[in-house]
Amino acid sequence: MFEKSLYDLIRGLRNHKGNEKEYIQNCLKECRSEIKSQDMDVKATALLKIIYLEMNGHDMSWASFHVLEVMSSPKYHQKRVGYLGAVQSFKTDTEVLMLATNLLKKDLSASSPIVISLPIAALPHIITPSLALSVLADLLPRLSHSHSAIRKKTIVTLYRLALVYPETLRAAWPKIKERLMDKHEDPSVTAAIVNVVCELGWRRPQDFLPLAPRLFELLVDGGNNWMAIKLIKLFATLTPLEPRLVRKLLPPLTDLIRTTPAMSLLYECINGIIQGGILGDSEDDGREEIASLCVSKLRGMITFNGDANLKYVALLAFNRIVVTHPFLVAQQEDVIMECIDSEDITIRIKALDLVQGMVSSDNLVSIVSRLMRQLKTSTNPNNDQLDDLSTDSSEEMGAERRSRKRDEAPPLPEDYTIDVIGRILKMCSQNNYSSVVDFDWYIDVLTQLIRIAPASRKELDSDGMALGPKSTTADISESIGNELRNVAVKVKAVRAAAVRAAELIIAKLSMETTSHQVISGSLKPVAWIAGEYANLLSNPSDTLNHLLQLIPRIRPSEVLATCLQASMKLFALIAGNDQTYWTAERKSMVSLLMARVIHTYEPLVLHPSLEVQERAVEFTELLKLTAEAASAQASSTDELEQDPPLLLTQAIPSLFQGWELNSVAVGAQLNVPMPEGLDLDEPIHPNLSSLLAQADSLMLPIQEDDEFSAYYNEKAAPTSISSEPAINRLRDAPETTSGSYQQATEDSYLDADIIARRKAERAERNRDDPFYIGDLGSPSRSQGTSTPIHNILQNENGPDLDIDSIPIMKLDLGAISSSGVGGAPGTPQRSKAPKSRPQIVVAADETLVGSRPSTPRTGSQHDSDADPSSASAKSRAARKLKQSLLQVDSSHLRNLSLEASHSEDSGGGALPHEKLAETDAEMAKAMKEVQRLRLEMQRANERIHVAQGVPTEGVVVKSKKKKEGKKAKSKSKSEEDGAGAGEDEKEKKVVKKKKKKAETEVAEGGGEGAPVGGEGEGEAVITVKKKEKEKVKKKKPKRIIQLGDEDAGGTGAGAEAGEP
Amino acid sequence: MINAFLVFNGQGQPRLTKFYTQLDTSIQQRLISEIFTLVANRPKGSCNFLPLPPLLAASSTSTSSSEPHNDVPSLVTYRNYATLYFIIISTSTESPLALIDLIQVYVESLDRLFENVCELDLIFNFETLHATLGEMIVGGVVIETNMEKIVQGVRAQGTVAKRPVNESRGGGMGLGSGLGAGLGMGGNFVWSGR
Repeated sequence: MFEKSLYDLIRGLRNHKGNEKEYIQNCLKECRSEIKSQDMDVKATALLKIIYLEMNGHDMSWASFHVLEVMSSPKYHQKRVGYLGAVQSFKTDTEVLMLATNLLKKDLSASSPIVISLPIAALPHIITPSLALSVLADLLPRLSHSHSAIRKKTIVTLYRLALVYPETLRAAWPKIKERLMDKHEDPSVTAAIVNVVCELGWRRPQDFLPLAPRLFELLVDGGNNWMAIKLIKLFATLTPLEPRLVRKLLPPLTDLIRTTPAMSLLYECINGIIQGGILGDSEDDGREEIASLCVSKLRGMITFNGDANLKYVALLAFNRIVVTHPFLVAQQEDVIMECIDSEDITIRIKALDLVQGMVSSDNLVSIVSRLMRQLKTSTNPNNDQLDDLSTDSSEEMGAERRSRKRDEAPPLPEDYTIDVIGRILKMCSQNNYSSVVDFDWYIDVLTQLIRIAPASRKELDSDGMALGPKSTTADISESIGNELRNVAVKVKAVRAAAVRAAELIIAKLSMETTSHQVISGSLKPVAWIAGEYANLLSNPSDTLNHLLQLIPRIRPSEVLATCLQASMKLFALIAGNDQTYWTAERKSMVSLLMARVIHTYEPLVLHPSLEVQERAVEFTELLKLTAEAASAQASSTDELEQDPPLLLTQAIPSLFQGWELNSVAVGAQLNVPMPEGLDLDEPIHPNLSSLLAQADSLMLPIQEDDEFSAYYNEKAAPTSISSEPAINRLRDAPETTSGSYQQATEDSYLDADIIARRKAERAERNRDDPFYIGDLGSPSRSQGTSTPIHNILQNENGPDLDIDSIPIMKLDLGAISSSGVGGAPGTPQRSKAPKSRPQIVVAADETLVGSRPSTPRTGSQHDSDADPSSASAKSRAARKLKQSLLQVDSSHLRNLSLEASHSEDSGGGALPHEKLAETDAEMAKAMKEVQRLRLEMQRANERIHVAQGVPTEGVVVKSKKKKEGKKAKSKSKSEEDGAGAGEDEKEKKVVKKKKKKAETEVAEGGGEGAPVGGEGEGEAVITVKKKEKEKVKKKKPKRIIQLGDEDAGGTGAGAEAGEP
Repeated sequence: MINAFLVFNGQGQPRLTKFYTQLDTSIQQRLISEIFTLVANRPKGSCNFLPLPPLLAASSTSTSSSEPHNDVPSLVTYRNYATLYFIIISTSTESPLALIDLIQVYVESLDRLFENVCELDLIFNFETLHATLGEMIVGGVVIETNMEKIVQGVRAQGTVAKRPVNESRGGGMGLGSGLGAGLGMGGNFVWSGR
């Protein structure tokens, strides 16, 4: 005896710190040989060691057969190890499970209660439908075992059986109910039943309504808090079905709330009231009282001397109330908001869930700023150098910020940061931005968020990949950028501001990561904004510079493609001005710029991504042509004025000037009707191939080709933005917004430079406000229209104008003078109340008439990025995805009705809607009868006389050895018919009715064509039996391997017949 | 229902793993380590509930607020005793506060069985841990909360071994301080469910 015991193993593990891996491998090797030993003690010990190692992550599925061996040991302490191994390692697809069936059945009928407990406790872990079918008959009698411990375990195991094999309940439920009704039953058995009923309750509440009186009795004088909690939970699912219960429940519940010393019970009472919908409408007096009682208690829990658990559960409860009674929760906003700042992340998240549902235009800013402050403070340590950068722009702000760094929170986990950012975006964008009042503020928040956002993990993921959806959620900065893009597209009024924010972000990105790759996912949408609305940029050539610097450092191909496009758009804007003449200066500037762009694009011509490659090739070639054209075009001299090459001024810009892009509802594309007579299979041209061949041989001069395309494209540019009359833009320009609510708090979560910009903007705006006394002491002006014009001037003046360098006073004066000249509407802004909310128009998503409703600003539909295209498909997909790791699938249970069994018991007819279930039940019962009968006959063959009174389901097949079983099978087959005739009449009469039904059912359901002619009783039996035999025969090869047991073969066939 | 019951120590080494649904060993280990990272970073005085670990959250985020799905594990409750963490993963049909009590009952039962239980007892007698749990929870459903009956049920299965004598001096790991003694169990329990 030199084997290690478990004790030795563990000691060894502790003594081998550092090289445990090696030690464990050695141990596993030893175990592998020991477990093959003939000595059961050695085997069991080895198994115990393996189980211990399994706990530490060493797979033991290879040992499943040995587990089975140990399970079958006659010694209890070894058997226990075996069962533990089975529980820990067996899966439903473990092959030896088939072999275990008999053992389980045998142990279930053992005499010693501790042995019976083993299979009962193990079954929930390994149960499969077929196993459930075979052990059910052995398990049911255990419901009336003399030991209460066995009874309660059996009840729970039956429940788990029912989850995979719902028919279990049909047989078991009457007995369980009997136990529940029995007032002298052991209280812990009753409690176990209540637990099971509670689990079943939410799946099929209507089945348990008849139990309500008994459950109520248990609730009132049960005296067991654990059970009371479950009962209340159960009642919460019953009350929606039976409103009269509410009146009955209210007194005991209020009583409990007022008196119970147990906080858990108190909480569950409140929770039950909420979930049961007892809060009801506020019209009812009595209910109003209970509602306020509940809410005040919950409020008390949150404030209650800082007990975090109570805080958490109270928030959980609020989360449930908010769905039905948002106003009740809104009253508690103060305490809930405090929870957002809790240092416990669990509580924070719950509070966030809640807050998300409470957002309105009134509290959005305060909620978001709270969250922003949180994020800001937690990311501070990393952002130090950023702060230093920003101090350049405004010295005192930075100093102020630095002094603020007093209470630095511990860094938040990245997941949480991402989650919070996602929520901020969601809160702001919900209902098509209905809660956002001040879009300038929102743009600032977005800009700040992009800085805070943790770096995308796309780079890391791309190695491991296969994380598909995850990597997109991880890339939160891209969603922030998308938000910014949405705002730019949808809210014309702030488009200019959004574009400038994008400009800033690009500049920052290009400066920040000089040597590294660009990792922020925000670049893609931001670059798109800069390109699409290039004319609104304050300094397009700088932005182009930044983009060109960024391009070589971008990794993801989609981002790269977008950046290529954006930089081309910018180039088109900068170089494509056809108003000025082709001066020498301009010529050299443009040529240099083109050379630079080409230089940047050229390496990408060989990029692995086709999209990038294509764009790079197209643009390079186009630019090369243009460069040729530009160098060919002589620059204008004093005498001769030359126009710039058309390619530059017409062709390239017109590539990008078309209809303005609007946001389109997600489902809109699907609603485009298919044109009649459209046949996609039809070739575009009858002899396309010959045409292509021709084209190959035809060498068109490329220059011509481009002019053709230029001509082509020119026509397609009816509404280029730049050709719009200035007055239109005036109307669109940002209007003054009241900044009353963003006082000092703002600088706690926005970076200094953003604030500085903001302040400058505000000062500029307010300079024209007669009610605002500026710090410059500038004379207040009654004319309020200068700001928009000023903006336009900025834009028009374009690249060579640095706004910051312009003395403000001077520019102002210019603006005033131009306001008369520029043909501004001249409507005095005074008519507008200074405090009124700006009427910002948020464009709704475009969609087709007759299709899904678009998203109007006031609409309460889905938020803009939800997928409305097919809600059902989505939910289906969601369900698929929802099948969580630890989840128990109980969907089978939904289709089962207990009512059928109830009514059958009482002998009455079933309700019409239960008919189907009932026939199923009859079928199953009949099959069971047939099977039983067959067993009887078999037994008669084996000279085992079974007394008449054997319970229908309670047939216990004494374990037969495999050989015997097979023999019996063949024997029974040959003799069955004869034996059937010889079987006593009484038995037949009992099952006559059932059999008839079964026979017809089998014929219909099975559809295997066995002619049904059975009028007489005896014939009927035979017909059924023949059928049965056929099935058995069919299954035989498989069955023998799997079960080696006649009985199981029969039941398997029975199950199959019963199922369709 | 209860989906899993886990015990691990301050280093994340599992002492008891019981999953009431089937899970591959490797995924079990991943889940344990994810929960351990969550549990190890809890600030003082925070609540006994954890946010869902990424493995579980991935599958249930979409349903978090809209419609509570009763089948999905959505609650991770933990308690810390001396060097050990006790974890229960459960669905929303369980009462959160009652689960905290359930862990307490489990630990108290172990304390009763081992007399001043400490981590070492649990290491060397993990079979008893399973037996005790088996008297409380079967197939994810609580069957017993009465400590007397639990202890009685475990004792009926055979004698409970004591820890090896020569081990009690300790080998570098956190031991000696009895779990029960270290926490003054039983007394100051505000939301006692019993």
